[in-house]
Amino acid sequence: MEKLFQAIYGGILYGSIYGLMAIGLTLIWGSLRMLNMAMGALYVVGGYLTWTAFKMWGTPSLVAIILGVLAAALIGLLIQVLLINRLLGRSSFFNAAMIATVGAAIMIESAALLIWGPRVKQMPPIIEGHIKLQGVVIQYQGLVIIAVAAISLALLGVFLRRTRYGLAIQAVSQQMDAARLMGIPTVLTFMIVATIGAAFAGLAGSLLSSIFFVAPTAGYTPLAKALIVTIFGGLGSIKGTIWAAYIIGVLEAFLIVYFGAGFALPVLFLFMILMLVIRPSGLFGLGEIQRL
Amino acid sequence: MLKITDLKAGYAGSEVLHSLSMQVGDGESVVVLGPNGHGKTTLLRAISGLIRPTSGRVEFDGQIISNKRASDIVAAGVIHIPQGDLPFPELTVMDNLMLGAFRPDAWRVRKQKLEQVFELFPTLRERPNQLARSLSGGERRMLALGRGLMSKAKLLMIDEPSLGLAPFLVENVYETIRNIRGMGLSLLLVDENADHIAGLADRIYLLEAGTLIKEGGADEMLRDEALLSAYLG
Repeated sequence: MEKLFQAIYGGILYGSIYGLMAIGLTLIWGSLRMLNMAMGALYVVGGYLTWTAFKMWGTPSLVAIILGVLAAALIGLLIQVLLINRLLGRSSFFNAAMIATVGAAIMIESAALLIWGPRVKQMPPIIEGHIKLQGVVIQYQGLVIIAVAAISLALLGVFLRRTRYGLAIQAVSQQMDAARLMGIPTVLTFMIVATIGAAFAGLAGSLLSSIFFVAPTAGYTPLAKALIVTIFGGLGSIKGTIWAAYIIGVLEAFLIVYFGAGFALPVLFLFMILMLVIRPSGLFGLGEIQRL
Repeated sequence: MLKITDLKAGYAGSEVLHSLSMQVGDGESVVVLGPNGHGKTTLLRAISGLIRPTSGRVEFDGQIISNKRASDIVAAGVIHIPQGDLPFPELTVMDNLMLGAFRPDAWRVRKQKLEQVFELFPTLRERPNQLARSLSGGERRMLALGRGLMSKAKLLMIDEPSLGLAPFLVENVYETIRNIRGMGLSLLLVDENADHIAGLADRIYLLEAGTLIKEGGADEMLRDEALLSAYLG
């Protein structure tokens, strides 16, 4: 019972983080049909900026988190404007864009190494204290992360469904030609999507800086998990990605609690491979739509 | 209002339109007739900026639009209702319509526009929350027309309004287009047969192999059955 509860709580916590990391990947896939491999680096940017604002500049932790998110958003926008926008319309767009983002990720990690050095950093908890439920220790900070993730994903949903540019983002991902015929400026829409995606990765890095260490290469594991989540949920599907985030989170937590941490990643990859074999477009994927 | 001069356009090295020149006057209704595969859709795509003309000029209201982006061409008032409707499949009827009013000047008056569109297409009013992908062919066509009319269109371009529709719906669609005409828009219709355009077209162009081979007043051209049947089969 205690183990079960531990697994469920841990699963929701992981799921929250994966949701934040994966939502950007899926949004960007939806509108641009490319993988943004710099998401891990943007996660790191969020973590470092939050740490720096809090430790070096002495800002309150809420401000530090906001600064982390803004920094990641800004760099995400720069990657879009300086690299991706210049590749639009090429026949090899998918590969070129993916490699460009890998390059951007390496540059960001190297810059982080130069600026912050090789020693890992850690934020103190955003909020101290814990409760004990069914014998399981639940940190308040875990609850904060779960709540912030849920609220920010819900706000994104409202933005996508209720606002002019939110609808435009959906339009671009579903029917590119028609979106252009509605007068939607597609390049601007891509920039908005890239910025939002980066902000979410930054939020994940920022929130997690008080649980995990911040290091230049700390983004790789979250990126790998986010890729598993988006492929499992269906690239381009927001609903599928959020479902998959929590499913994969809970699955991982169960594997860790019942079988040990070593099993988690291999089994998750196995799951991803099985999904690709059985249902290549994922739970709710857009399928094989070639466009750009 | 719309003036096309020596337009050349095509796809990846193969030219589809060869030095095409034509115009649509203010409030005029023009139909371009041509068999399948002769460049009707390419013509509309080149005007609306979905493809960039390789040479030539498209002017609208005295401004050159052939070097502009699709979004700016829509902002100028040129609205293209594409072949195959191209609805946003995972969005509701309402959201599809709202996207038709995406440009700020249309967005501000979207409520009034929506009322106009619902009056023209009562079926759409009954199912605002249905996903576009679950609509029937006829409903999709109405959605495509309605979505186009949500904009601040000055010139409405319609690509084969009867394509793929059940025969009993076809006359219905042309009747609707006649009503749209009464709203004071200019109209540019491309079509592959002349059966339904009487009373709709002011002027007709015949398009063959990427060039306009004949032009004339609709009444006299439609009377010339020999010409039309020789040409359209």
